[in-house]
Amino acid sequence: MELFTELIPYVLRGLNVTLEVTAVALGVGLIFGALLAIGRVYGGKVLSRALGIYVSVIRALPHILLLLIIYFLLARIVDLTPFWAGSVSLAIISSAYQAEIIRGAILSVPHGQMVAARSIGMTRIQAIRYVILPQALRHMIPPWSNEASIVIKDSSLVYILGVPEILRQAQYYSGRNPTKPFNAYLAVAVIYFALTFLTNRGLDALEKRIRIPS
Amino acid sequence: MAPKKNIIVKIDNLHKSYGAEEVLKGVSLDIYEGEVVILVGPSGTGKSTLLRCVNQLTTPDSGHVWVQDVELTDPNTNIDTARQHIGMVFQSFNLFNHLTALDNVMLGLLHVLKQDKEAAREKAMMELDRVGLANKYMNYPGQLSGGQKQRVAIARSLAMEPVVMLFDEPTSALDPELIGEVLEVMKTLALEGMTMLCVTHEIGFARDVSHRIVFMEHGDIVEQGPPKKILNNPDLPRTKQFLGKISSLH
Repeated sequence: MELFTELIPYVLRGLNVTLEVTAVALGVGLIFGALLAIGRVYGGKVLSRALGIYVSVIRALPHILLLLIIYFLLARIVDLTPFWAGSVSLAIISSAYQAEIIRGAILSVPHGQMVAARSIGMTRIQAIRYVILPQALRHMIPPWSNEASIVIKDSSLVYILGVPEILRQAQYYSGRNPTKPFNAYLAVAVIYFALTFLTNRGLDALEKRIRIPS
Repeated sequence: MAPKKNIIVKIDNLHKSYGAEEVLKGVSLDIYEGEVVILVGPSGTGKSTLLRCVNQLTTPDSGHVWVQDVELTDPNTNIDTARQHIGMVFQSFNLFNHLTALDNVMLGLLHVLKQDKEAAREKAMMELDRVGLANKYMNYPGQLSGGQKQRVAIARSLAMEPVVMLFDEPTSALDPELIGEVLEVMKTLALEGMTMLCVTHEIGFARDVSHRIVFMEHGDIVEQGPPKKILNNPDLPRTKQFLGKISSLH
């Protein structure tokens, strides 16, 4: 059974990298996305417009193209390993999509919530932190689980920078065993399915856990 | 309880326009400590706008507002600090949906007044008790009736120890059988000497509890006086006509 002794251990060597790239892209993307969204909703005309343009540009270009552009741009400024270049690029891309998810969630919180918070003397920042975001967070979980699914699979794009994630590992394996290319790719497909499935299940559970009783 | 001689809220010559429409045309009004003032008038006359200009949730185009000698219209005034002591109750309650009744009342105590958790909790429970809802402290807004929500909203304002309470049609979104419990709380407040400015069409409340009824139309005050005089024998036929119309509804 070379499948269990060779193929799977070989591909799994890339799993850590896939998980790390995904975590950086989603995590950093969430922080930047939240800042972008807050800037767009509360930032006044000029800032809001500027951030809107940024989001539009990122969303208009193919991810793989952006990955290459950002990689070669960043590589000129700072000395980055392909892993960090790829992860940060994906984070920048994801931040644009997450910004729209968070913006939508913020706008779905009724305006009266902000008014009431200000009326008891909260600053705007306090109102955003203690009243608006806790409610927006709950609204954003379903669309965010969509974005998480996309980023898990987009983590495979860093293979063009030579980062050894699972798809790259599968390719190496297929290259060395040209008679059975199918097996390696099937194993990768199963891994992506499992990651996406578990992530979505986890987010569903979180959504239920923090649902506001009514 | 009769109002005292010192002015709590002073409104001087307020103007506010939305586009071409002038909603407030130079309104001036003084409210004395312990006084209950009712604002009535047809819809779209600027009653709510006037109320929201008092705590600057709406910024007037010109004119001045003082609350206890602090000018809120002065750009150098810290508006967040000034608002801490101006309570406001909304038609649509605006309770924080993600928080229990207790946490709704505690939020301002914790983050605005920076009280420690124990003190805030004690104070919040006291205020919930004051509006008769101590037993509902663990309920979320979605688990409360409209009348209960509004009473929690009143408790949330009271916890900040306001010098004046602004009520913006507090019973207009309520089912008729729930209006009484909110008016009862407001009446108790009035009897305790709270200074109150209320936009409401509850004529019974105005007659029994208020010291003054202010009739507004087309962005200005057209007539004001003690409730007996305004309700029974107003100077202007327009006031009589309007109050007759809303009285017949109740």
